[in-house]
Amino acid sequence: MPEETAVQEPLSPPQNSKGEALAVVIGVAGWLVPGLGHALQKMWGRAVVCFLTVAVLVWVGAGMRGNLFTSRGNDAFDSLGYIADLGTGSFYWVARSLEANGPDVSHADGDYGTRFLATAGVFNLLAALHAYEAARGRKA
Amino acid sequence: MTSSALAISGVSTLIALIAVKLTHLQALALFALVVSVAFGFLGRRQPKERVKYILWTLLLFLLVGVGIGWAMYPFSH
Repeated sequence: MPEETAVQEPLSPPQNSKGEALAVVIGVAGWLVPGLGHALQKMWGRAVVCFLTVAVLVWVGAGMRGNLFTSRGNDAFDSLGYIADLGTGSFYWVARSLEANGPDVSHADGDYGTRFLATAGVFNLLAALHAYEAARGRKA
Repeated sequence: MTSSALAISGVSTLIALIAVKLTHLQALALFALVVSVAFGFLGRRQPKERVKYILWTLLLFLLVGVGIGWAMYPFSH
């Protein structure tokens, strides 16, 4: 009896490199402008909701004079806060320009504002990851 | 009015417009509503499923938030 020499094909074919690059571009676009990653894939409802969610959270957070972290943090928590805030993409600079008087965390309002800003960033990162995965055809 | 004075008054108006004064409960409710809607749209596709998910998440956010608030109450005295 001849020996089996046929090589089994891999279960999933290797990813198309062009498609992968496009997915990365969509993910980065979604991070820079909240909702753009979904808009590029014609997911209009999700695009609008992502944009409005980040916009409202940043507006309220800045309005409550929450702390917007910078790269010159003193400890690990400041750095984590900076990463979270940076997650809002272009809205990070919008929030900076809105907070002309700087943060005020001496009251509960400012503390809440800090959480609103961080939530906006983390949510936008999640939305950008979702857009990236959708572009790869993993979920939609 | 000079252009710099106009610019300063414009910035002051903008700052006054974005100044947000919310009570603790209002902040909690706004946060819960916005995040619930966002999660619903991101996590579900069908409109009916989205509405159910949004309502369920909103309810849990409010219940857990108020619950934790009451749980911390004895420690504030």
